[in-house]
Amino acid sequence: MNKAAEIYKRLLIRAYQIDKVYFGGQTAVEGKALCLDSSAAAAAAAGEQLVEKVEIEILPPGCLGREVYTILDIIPVAAKVLGRLGEGITHTLTGVYFILTAADASGRPLAQFGSSAGVLKDKLKLGRPGTPGEGDRIILCQATIAAGAGFKREGIMAVHRAADSIIQQVRDCLKGLDGKGCTEEHLYVEKPTPGRKKVVLVKLLAGQGAMHDNLVLPIEPCGFKGGHSIIDLANMPLLLTPNEYRDGALKAMT
Amino acid sequence: MGVGPSTKETTLHHFRDPLAALLGSDDEFELSGVIVAGISADYAGKSFTAARIGAWISAMNLDGAVVSMDSWGNSHIDFSLLLEQLHRLRMPAVGLCFKEEHSDYILTSRFKGAVIDTSKADSKRETEMVGENTVTPMDARKALAMLKLTARKQT
Repeated sequence: MNKAAEIYKRLLIRAYQIDKVYFGGQTAVEGKALCLDSSAAAAAAAGEQLVEKVEIEILPPGCLGREVYTILDIIPVAAKVLGRLGEGITHTLTGVYFILTAADASGRPLAQFGSSAGVLKDKLKLGRPGTPGEGDRIILCQATIAAGAGFKREGIMAVHRAADSIIQQVRDCLKGLDGKGCTEEHLYVEKPTPGRKKVVLVKLLAGQGAMHDNLVLPIEPCGFKGGHSIIDLANMPLLLTPNEYRDGALKAMT
Repeated sequence: MGVGPSTKETTLHHFRDPLAALLGSDDEFELSGVIVAGISADYAGKSFTAARIGAWISAMNLDGAVVSMDSWGNSHIDFSLLLEQLHRLRMPAVGLCFKEEHSDYILTSRFKGAVIDTSKADSKRETEMVGENTVTPMDARKALAMLKLTARKQT
């Protein structure tokens, strides 16, 4: 492989551990502490017509006694520092994850075939690849969607967009972090490996509507903006490079 | 959440997917790519998507495929149609999905291949606990071992 192709196929992910999350006047990452703008939730709700309210709560490790709405997604904070998705450098936070929940203002449960609304400790299995670990902090974003909009794609999209605008503030801070201060570093280089068996991973994902949707290839890792809905793609298969997938090319909308 | 809370893969799951991590670091395999496809509501859509994935995999000149699905119910039709398609193409394949108490009816009537059950609760039912019945690193290791065996058997 020539030098130019080698650079194109390199992805470096740097992780920064967070041990403290608190509210303040401006979103910032300082050392192992994350400060969240206390007015971010109100601003996010104000920016969306179909979102009536967003409430943010910081849950320290072990505090899972909180009653929550239906869980829509668990989102890591990751930001593109250099290059496009799947190449270059990405910064991400460990030790803290966003959980997005939502309810319809009319009181209709936002769920089908089982609901994850209830007390968090009964509705969340910690320590799975897709859920926070026991020692992690949770930023709980609880959104209320305008009555009736919770079962329409526009309503679900609006909630994810609102949450993404809050996360984007943290991403913007991550972009400026010094690479030397990271707690983990992972380099992925895609290169031909003669003699090995070539395999593909096929992911079949929900694409039936509203809560059954996924976005592919957003601009920011694990982001919303710029992502293509798998429903709009008519459920057609799409090929991602392994590094695109590792770099947060899939955003679950469920 | 959609169908259903305990099987759905979150954005965090995709970001640190144990299957991609393991396939990407195994000495015997080279992960060529990740194909993502949606599950349709009607049978025509399900069958169409399975055929398109099959054609793509066939053209990629691969040695194997791992098929993972984070849904259940009528989605098991999409899953088994794809495994059936890969079987027809003589492509070694392993599937992973949540098998609830009635899904064997769909899965075994169409395809008797290697399928790993990702359900963790004894009830074999939707437990409504986010993350509980998703693919774990142990499930991923089983899938890889099974793919190695299946590939050896077919060559």
